[in-house]
Amino acid sequence: MLAISRRTFGAMVMVGSLGFMACEAGAADAINVGIIPSLTSHSPSIIAEAQGYFEDEGLDVEFVSFQAAQPMAVAIASGDVDFGLTAISGGLISLADKGAVKVIGGALMEDPEVEGQKILVSKAAYDEGVTTPADLAGRTFGITTAGSSFHYMAHKIADKEGFERSEISLKPLQKVPAIIASLKSGQIDAWAIVPNLANSLSAGEEVVEIGEVSDYIDSYQVTTVFTSTENAENNPDLVERFLAGLSKGIDDYNAALVDKTMSEEETAGIVEMIHQYIYADQPLDKADPRIRAGAMRISPNAALSLASVEDQLGWFKSEGLVPEGVTMDVLVNTDYVETH
Amino acid sequence: MSHDTQVLGSTAGKHKEERAVRQVPFRGGGFVHRPMGPIGAVVFLAIIALWEAGSRTGVISPIALPAPSEALGALWDLVVTGMLWKHVGASLYRLVIGWTLGSLLGIAVGLMIGLFSLARAGLLPLVSALFPIPKIALLPLFIIWFGIGEGSKVATILFGTFFPTVIATYGGVDNVDRNLIRMGQSFGLSWLSIVRKIIVPGAMPAILSGFRISASIAIVLLVAAEMIGAEFGIGAYILMAGALFATDQLIAGVALLSVLGLSISWLIGRAERALLSWRA
Amino acid sequence: MQLILDRISHRYGGTNVLEDIGFTIGDGEIVCIVGPSGCGKSTLLRIAGGLEKPDAGEVLLSGEPARDSLNPLTYIFQDFALLPWRSVEGNVSLVLEDHGVSAQERRETIADVLARTNLSGFLGALPRQLSGGMKQRVAIARALAVKPAIMLMDEPLSALDSQTRELLMDDLIGLWQRERFSALYVTHNLAEAVRLGRRVIILSRRPGRIREVVEIDMPLEERPDRVTELDRLQRHVWDIMREEAREADREIADVA
Repeated sequence: MLAISRRTFGAMVMVGSLGFMACEAGAADAINVGIIPSLTSHSPSIIAEAQGYFEDEGLDVEFVSFQAAQPMAVAIASGDVDFGLTAISGGLISLADKGAVKVIGGALMEDPEVEGQKILVSKAAYDEGVTTPADLAGRTFGITTAGSSFHYMAHKIADKEGFERSEISLKPLQKVPAIIASLKSGQIDAWAIVPNLANSLSAGEEVVEIGEVSDYIDSYQVTTVFTSTENAENNPDLVERFLAGLSKGIDDYNAALVDKTMSEEETAGIVEMIHQYIYADQPLDKADPRIRAGAMRISPNAALSLASVEDQLGWFKSEGLVPEGVTMDVLVNTDYVETH
Repeated sequence: MSHDTQVLGSTAGKHKEERAVRQVPFRGGGFVHRPMGPIGAVVFLAIIALWEAGSRTGVISPIALPAPSEALGALWDLVVTGMLWKHVGASLYRLVIGWTLGSLLGIAVGLMIGLFSLARAGLLPLVSALFPIPKIALLPLFIIWFGIGEGSKVATILFGTFFPTVIATYGGVDNVDRNLIRMGQSFGLSWLSIVRKIIVPGAMPAILSGFRISASIAIVLLVAAEMIGAEFGIGAYILMAGALFATDQLIAGVALLSVLGLSISWLIGRAERALLSWRA
Repeated sequence: MQLILDRISHRYGGTNVLEDIGFTIGDGEIVCIVGPSGCGKSTLLRIAGGLEKPDAGEVLLSGEPARDSLNPLTYIFQDFALLPWRSVEGNVSLVLEDHGVSAQERRETIADVLARTNLSGFLGALPRQLSGGMKQRVAIARALAVKPAIMLMDEPLSALDSQTRELLMDDLIGLWQRERFSALYVTHNLAEAVRLGRRVIILSRRPGRIREVVEIDMPLEERPDRVTELDRLQRHVWDIMREEAREADREIADVA
């Protein structure tokens, strides 16, 4: 009755696990996992599915594609999607505050030994003397939306370099392609992005790399694993099985593309699996180098850096982007993975 | 005369005695709108009250919809921080410049299409081809053409308002009474006088109804226009609220847009009364 | 000034509308044209005033109009053709504005023509506030303002009810007696034609040709008192027209 009235309002409803309970007796639990087909950081779930790790856990995984992290978070809150990997955004915290979603593990992370996110400037800005991140004061910086990871990184650079956050002029451009177009045409001065995109950009004439994000943010937990509060609290078995499958996928990803301890043959197999969803619009020989380039480490066993999450939450509050009252308990459920 | 009525009256009386007399049943009425006073406001307030009650009792989940009081709170926050004027000011600036330029260009091109066969043959297919293109789809190109500053925002609104104005204007010109134009010619009025004194005023009702449509389109496009590099503006505020999933701010922003729409519609109503007072 | 129509022929699409029409309107003469509907009366009037080009034949003017005439050939339309967004004053002013008349002169002219058409109190009224008869008076005032040499009148009374028509007819006769304007007066109303016309030209059904010209050599001011003679004339005209009208009525209209 309650659910129907909410549906009538055209909004999202948490029917979540009701479906699973009904068919628990069946062979495998069907779950939906959200991915963004332009980001290689979503590879571990894809590998886990292709390698049969989810199947081993009795999970029947269906991938749902999103253009951005925000609608994925909303879909998880509504119960249409069960698990997702995305950066901690204002929207995610806000949904957690409303009791809809929980962070349950870590994913993409900055590792000092592995190539990480890069700070980029346009050629025009570089020629005008913006050659180090310290020169970003008074410059424009591209972000997708307020409260995105780009917004956070820009402010962390300002904090560490010792100038006012407001001295960086932020330009919300909604989508990554729009930021790339603006940076290339010199309409914004700077941006920070994961290495595979950063490298392909700085390989061209229009963009120059001037620094690394890891110099400004300690043990940055770039993306996290999250699920609905309903799953996290009432369906621990399902969450554990998902994380177990995912962890094996993470291990394969790190071994193949980050530590490069796999044989070339096996690596090629992994790349081919990833290519089923990531850069699937390009032929394999073109997508292959883009998938391999600048792979960042994914937290083994989906371990979560609480310190980094806390720092990010603190920043959101200091900017007034999320309500003051949100605590770590509201945002994170630490029952499932190792934290540090 | 009085004698006649008397006779009629007496025959009617006689008939009454002879057989049953019925009144002719009334079959008119209906299909006419009566002014109903403040019903609109009552319906509006009732929906708000119902919504508030639903939110308070938990029937409406806070994820589905924020309570109206929360949205009002977000609006109040905007007022006390002074951000309201910054957002509204930035949006109004874009709306006014974009809409004014789009309308002026639209009227000019519409008049050309209405007056010159060459322009009609050359431009009308172009207008018909470009009108249905969603301007949002062109946004990435607008960034390259007009930059991420005010240019691309004004351009988005300009393009959105240009086409409906063109169509309204040439439609209005086509509908000007040909007899009036012939009258102008028969009195030896110059071409320019006929355009200025007969065609433009004659097309004015159509142009003004075009304004109603183009102003609504401008408001719809405001959110799209402010997707790109806007720090302030009602659209930017709504987008930020969406990104932060701050639904109270989202509703507050949408309410602002709707107030803006009402105000513009009221202004156009005033303009119509002033310019078209000659209509009954 | 004289208006000469010389062997006018005209076709719309493949249909002949007018064939070999020729006559002259002399100074101070009212020539009425009657004919069954669709015989091309209105087309002929448009051709006479230069609003339409005939396929064959010419429209000629002989003699100079009075020096102060701003628009020698001036129309009066059936539907009045007043600008609904201009007041009575504005509608008259419209036709003076393009002729380099000073504002002062314009005001005087407007006051003068409105006085002559008994409209003095209606300077600021909008067309929608006026009755049909008043509207046509405004149109007549507008025509007088440009001091025409020849008036081209296209069924000027047809859109009015019969009482108003009588009143306006009297006005027109009064006006003619004072001004002695020439006019080409198109109508389908035979009573009007015999009341006003110095000559009545009867057109045949399509293609319009001159069937007959009836001369009425009776001063306008005497006509109201010689009703029986007029009646006979009217019947005579009708006898000529009857067969044409009957045939025309059975035709399928395929021209505008």
